[in-house]
Amino acid sequence: MITFEGAAKLYPDGTVAVDALDLTVETGQTTVFVGPSGSGKTTSLRMINRMVEPTGGAVLIDGQDVRLRDPAALRRSIGYVIQQAGLFPHRTVRDNIATVPLLLGWGRARARARAAELMELVGLEPSQARRYPHQLSGGQQQRVGVARALAADPPILLMDEPFSAVDPVVRASLQDELLRLQEELHKTVVFVTHDIDEAVRLGDRIAVFRPGGRLAQYDSPERLLAAPRDAFVESFVGYDRGVRRLSFFPARELSLREDVVFGDDTAAGAAAASMRGEPWALVVTGDHVPLGWAGAGQLARVPADTALGSLDLAPYGHTFAVDTDSLRAALDAAVLSPAGRAVGVDAAGRVVGVVSQEDLGTALWSVTE
Amino acid sequence: MIAEAWDWAARVVEWGVANWSRPGEPDRGVLPRLTEHMRLSYLSILIGLVLALPLGLACVRWKPLYPPVLTGVNVLYAVPSIALFFLMLPYTGFSDWTAVVPLALYTLVVLLPNVVDGLRQVPDHVRQAAVAMGFGPLRRLVYVETPVAVPVIIAGLRVASVATISMVSVASLVGLGGLGQLILSDGFRRQFDAPIVVGIVLTVLLAFVTDAVLVLAQRLLTPWAREDGGRRRRRRAAGPAGADTAAAPTAPRAAETAEAAVRRPVRTGPGTGHTAEEGRSWTS
Repeated sequence: MITFEGAAKLYPDGTVAVDALDLTVETGQTTVFVGPSGSGKTTSLRMINRMVEPTGGAVLIDGQDVRLRDPAALRRSIGYVIQQAGLFPHRTVRDNIATVPLLLGWGRARARARAAELMELVGLEPSQARRYPHQLSGGQQQRVGVARALAADPPILLMDEPFSAVDPVVRASLQDELLRLQEELHKTVVFVTHDIDEAVRLGDRIAVFRPGGRLAQYDSPERLLAAPRDAFVESFVGYDRGVRRLSFFPARELSLREDVVFGDDTAAGAAAASMRGEPWALVVTGDHVPLGWAGAGQLARVPADTALGSLDLAPYGHTFAVDTDSLRAALDAAVLSPAGRAVGVDAAGRVVGVVSQEDLGTALWSVTE
Repeated sequence: MIAEAWDWAARVVEWGVANWSRPGEPDRGVLPRLTEHMRLSYLSILIGLVLALPLGLACVRWKPLYPPVLTGVNVLYAVPSIALFFLMLPYTGFSDWTAVVPLALYTLVVLLPNVVDGLRQVPDHVRQAAVAMGFGPLRRLVYVETPVAVPVIIAGLRVASVATISMVSVASLVGLGGLGQLILSDGFRRQFDAPIVVGIVLTVLLAFVTDAVLVLAQRLLTPWAREDGGRRRRRRAAGPAGADTAAAPTAPRAAETAEAAVRRPVRTGPGTGHTAEEGRSWTS
């Protein structure tokens, strides 16, 4: 547990970087500090490993004031990932990762074995061990940065805008990787970013900082999107927070209709008769793989004995996974479907059912209550 | 015409071979002059480097120190070498130090800014990462900042050695030996061109070989700053290796800076014709 007790940083020129911060970072969780530049989030992060010394208040790790510890020893016990990775250009990937173990006097063989372990953990190829940082892509460099921070297995991991210098596709893959690692390792992660989407994606708890180094709100991502405390937080989290908040609700709570799903050998007349006023029918194969939508008008025009599989079907767009996706994915699938309806599938891609607009609407209203 | 030139070249070579070394007279001949030249120039460069490193470190550590120290070094460089040699004579006589002390001080004009720039060009995120990993100030200097500065320091050494090897020739004017003695004493005084040519050719050759050795040293010392060193490996590791989309490989910053440093304006000639200080903006 990391506790900020009225921690403040006032620079001699009168700039207030952090103004009396009170905050508790829970052990084993990911806490994100988010805010615009000049809001003191990085300064606060650096108070934890004494790269910045508070001018007022204190920072405690498990109840002990960090100022009672030797800075170098403290830092070796805390992982740190910096923007642009900060890799040592003159050291190979392997030796970069082994930095802290070597500082701790592990011996070269053990440190290198540990480095190899970590390369595998963060998804680097063993063949990259002897390469130099400039021979890697930005995303790979950042993976090395994460591996280096984890090398001595520190309980705390500080991450200072680690993914801000890579392109969006690589950033998303690094975020996924971090979520996967965290599920496995349960470190106490403090993550600084100016990107609210990244914060919502990664954080168990989010601290929103406002300019002048003040804490605006400290909440779970879901609460932050549902109930921003004031106008600043509301504008910072963005105008589509309502839709984004749907990410926190599972799609499995939706009621799915199976009565408008028909096999491709069903006759058009039989399908039309059992639709009971629904405007669209979903046609699937015998294995329940979706084929496309047939409109009620289309069914009325063709001879009643036409097999649904032989009709010219509207594309079904993209589906959502009933067990793993969120309401947001279901809504997105509905919006992008020509029928205005979302197709729910199981893990194997077989159709489980269709969500009508009414049912989706009901579900959306129920979570906004 | 061609035949004349050929005859002349043959005569020069013949003189050089005949006078290479004289049995029974170990102090006469071309070879002793060459070894003297090497001793004087290498000693000067070495002492210059030994002075520049701590001085550079001090200038990086205490920033306000750098401008006055650099100005001092530049002003010293403006003093004609021949004048300094004569000034040294009463104190050091005809020993090597008469040449080495001024020449070592002259190398500082290139070496000091390169040491300082080399240490300063360590990217901030690298320095910060080193602090965050738990490197103390001394370890950071030894294990991170100095190694990263090596390409820039060697670039400075290359310029300084060529300049010094050239300037040692002037030392012969005050009777300190070296290849300049062939040019000045044997050549000019006796109106005889073979020793002059041999002296010039050997001086240029020595500078060239020294530079090549330094280039080689840099390649061995800093494999990480080499682009082709990586290309071989990169090809081997190509394929489905990376999960990330490959970014354009960026050349290490140190190598770029090193090249820029080589292009710096430097006066290499002996004598008194000091160039104007127009190229000095880079030192600030």
